[in-house]
Amino acid sequence: MAFNLTRRKFLQTATLAAASVPLSKVVSASTGVTKSALDTPGTAGDQTVVGGICEMCFWRCQLVGKVRDGRLMKLEGNPKSIDNGTAICARGNAGVKLLYDVDRLKYPMKNVGKRGAPKWKRISWKEALDECGSKLKNTVDQYGAQGICVFPHGASAKYPMHYFERAVGTHNVSEASFFQCRGIRDTAYVATIGKAPGEKIDMPNTKVLFFIGDHLGENIHVSHIKQYIQGLQNGAKLIVADPRFSASAAKADIWVQIKPGTDTAYMLAIMNYLVQNDKYDKEFVEDHTDGFEQFAESIKEWTLEKAAKECDIPAAQIKEVAEMLAANAPNVAIHPGRHVSWHGNDFQRERALACLTGILGAYYVKGGWVPAKGPKVGGVSWKKEDHGHKYDLNYDHHEDEKVYPYNPPGTPTDLIRDCAISGKPYPIKSCVVWGQNPMQTIPNQQMMKDLFNAMDFVMCVDVMPTDVTAWADILLPEASYLERYDYIKTGTQWDLSKEHQQYISARMPLVPPMFERKDQIYITNEIAKRMGHEAKIPVKTMEEMVDKNLATVNLSIEKLKAEDGIHIQPGKDPYGIPEEFEVRLFNEDIADTGHPGAPTYIPVPDNPKGFARLLYGRAPVHTFNRSQNNVWLHNAMPDNPVWVNDEVAAKIGLIDGDTVGFVNSEGVESATTTTVKVTAGIRKDCVYMYHGFGSANPLMTIGVGAGVDDTSLITKLAVDPETGCHGMRNNFVKLIKNGKVLDIPA
Amino acid sequence: MQYGMIIDLERCVGCHACTIACRAEWEVPVPYQRNWVKRLGPTMTDDGMASTYYPGLCNHCDKPPCVEECPADVVERTFTDVKTGKTTTLEVAATWKDPFDGSVQVDKDRCLGCGACADACPYGARYVNPAQADDNSEGKVDKCTYCKPRVDQGLVPACVQTCIADARIFGDLDDPNSAVSQYVKKGAKGLEVQDGHIGPNSRYYGNKKDMGLLFADYTPKLADMGSVKRRAMMASMVKPAMRKAKDIGILGLAGAMLVKGLSEDKDNK
Repeated sequence: MAFNLTRRKFLQTATLAAASVPLSKVVSASTGVTKSALDTPGTAGDQTVVGGICEMCFWRCQLVGKVRDGRLMKLEGNPKSIDNGTAICARGNAGVKLLYDVDRLKYPMKNVGKRGAPKWKRISWKEALDECGSKLKNTVDQYGAQGICVFPHGASAKYPMHYFERAVGTHNVSEASFFQCRGIRDTAYVATIGKAPGEKIDMPNTKVLFFIGDHLGENIHVSHIKQYIQGLQNGAKLIVADPRFSASAAKADIWVQIKPGTDTAYMLAIMNYLVQNDKYDKEFVEDHTDGFEQFAESIKEWTLEKAAKECDIPAAQIKEVAEMLAANAPNVAIHPGRHVSWHGNDFQRERALACLTGILGAYYVKGGWVPAKGPKVGGVSWKKEDHGHKYDLNYDHHEDEKVYPYNPPGTPTDLIRDCAISGKPYPIKSCVVWGQNPMQTIPNQQMMKDLFNAMDFVMCVDVMPTDVTAWADILLPEASYLERYDYIKTGTQWDLSKEHQQYISARMPLVPPMFERKDQIYITNEIAKRMGHEAKIPVKTMEEMVDKNLATVNLSIEKLKAEDGIHIQPGKDPYGIPEEFEVRLFNEDIADTGHPGAPTYIPVPDNPKGFARLLYGRAPVHTFNRSQNNVWLHNAMPDNPVWVNDEVAAKIGLIDGDTVGFVNSEGVESATTTTVKVTAGIRKDCVYMYHGFGSANPLMTIGVGAGVDDTSLITKLAVDPETGCHGMRNNFVKLIKNGKVLDIPA
Repeated sequence: MQYGMIIDLERCVGCHACTIACRAEWEVPVPYQRNWVKRLGPTMTDDGMASTYYPGLCNHCDKPPCVEECPADVVERTFTDVKTGKTTTLEVAATWKDPFDGSVQVDKDRCLGCGACADACPYGARYVNPAQADDNSEGKVDKCTYCKPRVDQGLVPACVQTCIADARIFGDLDDPNSAVSQYVKKGAKGLEVQDGHIGPNSRYYGNKKDMGLLFADYTPKLADMGSVKRRAMMASMVKPAMRKAKDIGILGLAGAMLVKGLSEDKDNK
């Protein structure tokens, strides 16, 4: 009777859904079909609301909403967009289900239980804000501004982050997007070419695409995928270096099944081969680089044979890749990566990527690294104030220099966490978490719990309950990206060889917020008033901020709405190298800080006997750990099966679909289990899973316990010496099946 | 005219945008689906390591086995060609192949919800949607319509509109100049059944190893018509009763017979 029971169960849920979405009785005379009242009407006849900008991830596609009787039925790409066009990804399409997620935070809440094991009591906004304001003010009065630490992430966290950094004056701010994601990339490229690279490679017009660890197709950003696919359609060759046969590797001409952690050695060998065989771009090197001699000298030990041994790949294949790059230079696109915090040796890897692009002359040329020339729009926020270095944890007062010389903006996470837990060199007693889930973004969850337990006060602002919101004293419900003004998004057409155009759009609400959800300006300003900073408040509402920002380019919300949410203007040709552009192949400044001035390979710890290296990455239908409770996305990808090499699986008795847990080399066990995916498409010395699953918060009724939380197994800290960012792939695991721990054969 | 859809596996990145857009557009309740994406591999094939996707949907077949099995009484129905305004009248049950555009459609008002057509579909492209239950049934059969209500208004199907890589191409396979026909010329193929010819009109294009992997894993057999026919027969026996079930009070008996048949079918699979 299982069939019938299932149908009945869904009949019940469907009835609930139907109550809020009346079936249309409209029969369209213009179509060939006479519709039954039982048919769902589709969204073609619904009201179109413009101005949406997606935030299911952070690529920010431009949207329109289809609204029926005040309810958002569907999201679509804004047809006027020259970026994503009418396309949005699975997550973008599922934004509707975030908006109406029954588990969403609705009211301000006070934890009357314990941190980590909360009992929630609904309170008024006034009570919540009074408590946040007075607790934070007490901390500042007693311990100074440095007594507050902030973990922000996302568009809505920028304004409060600026408040705490600029007006309150704490340095103890650590954004996940920098310290656990792309900060290394940005600082390494700044140290090499003077600019953060973004993902600005001209993929549609390239001859060779070179990915180190990028798995486009699993990592989905709409216009970036458009560029990538168009490049391949136009005949570009694709080289993918990845221990795993990723979605990108499946489309590649050459798959380099590299040993994890050795990527820099691989690139040094490629560069050395190009230099030794005179296959680099001499004219570019002459005109636009600095330190070539020292660079060439520094990498000369990296023969093909030496790298082949280190990286566990054939020397002939390294040569083949080098030859392919040289033969197609300068029209080669070397991807700078996105989530790049892997092994704690990542600054050097990113330097190598930037230098390889340089010696191939692949900057500002068709198919190379090309920053599109987009419009500049002013930004209004809290006024910058100088708060000195006295309480900057990244400042070594004895040496009068930075501890991590190339840290991204903010303070390296572990410096804050160590200080908060130890109380040294000063006490940190309040923590503000805004749109970030540090339990699942920052390695070593026990230390994160220790941090929260050391606080006098913890406040969290989010849209959903997450693993960190269970640690809040006060939990505030935020309006989602579909319900608030926010963020100006600018850019150009995705194919740079097409007619040059620029666009300006702004996030505008598609529906009003429900329940008691508020936006970041309201919440921040109300706290600021209670902390004595009322006079410094830069804007009263989010709408005012967006209008002021738009005014810098002679636009307004009203004008944007009249232009269907997107203003388009003529653009500029992005090709052609600027006179002053320079690639620092050997960087004296880096050498002066005691770190290698030329890209250098720093070996990482090898697998302990019986363990596999834990690799993780992105899934096309989920963003970090933010979307696992979304009913549509959960249905598309409910958990994160662990990839195990087929020969390894056969030896240890695992078959496809087996249920397994994990134990890492520090003895930490996973709280949940997942299934096994047996595949030839992964090296024997690693296992792989998608990041962000296995949430522990029972208030997420769909996502809780689904799959395994990879972050829970990342307990061994690796920190990049130049940047202070986390490397998160130096952790090792064994699998547990039916209570038995399985050794991974060497 | 024969509508068809091409899925270009060289472009497809398996992102599921199509499946979720379809869900939003047509309020397809979880866990059911009108279209789906399955990841294949990575696995070693004769042509090397391969990994691709099976984005599946109704194939709007030339000879759809689902249509033949519908046990609803036939009625005369007039069809209109949206383009020319021409009309024609055919006798159809609750599901049919459109005489003008070749799409396969369902009349929800007349569907018994018996699921015989769903069982007959070798691709699993039909399901009984409990959100569309009415007094006479626990749901109506639902499936991809090639977004006919949208297409008739000049829009593209929701999955095509949202496809981030332009991997889905929709159009008229009878028009030799259409983009879909060009793909067929280049080698786009439908997942034809192993043991017959039903002419699927949703087709796949890709390199040898990916196509090999897809066709090796997902070439279906025709459904076991014995159980389909039994289900259809049960439905037609119950059918007159369904309409007046409440008045004459035999719903319990008939329903029990139907449910027993259904669950036996399920168990036999």
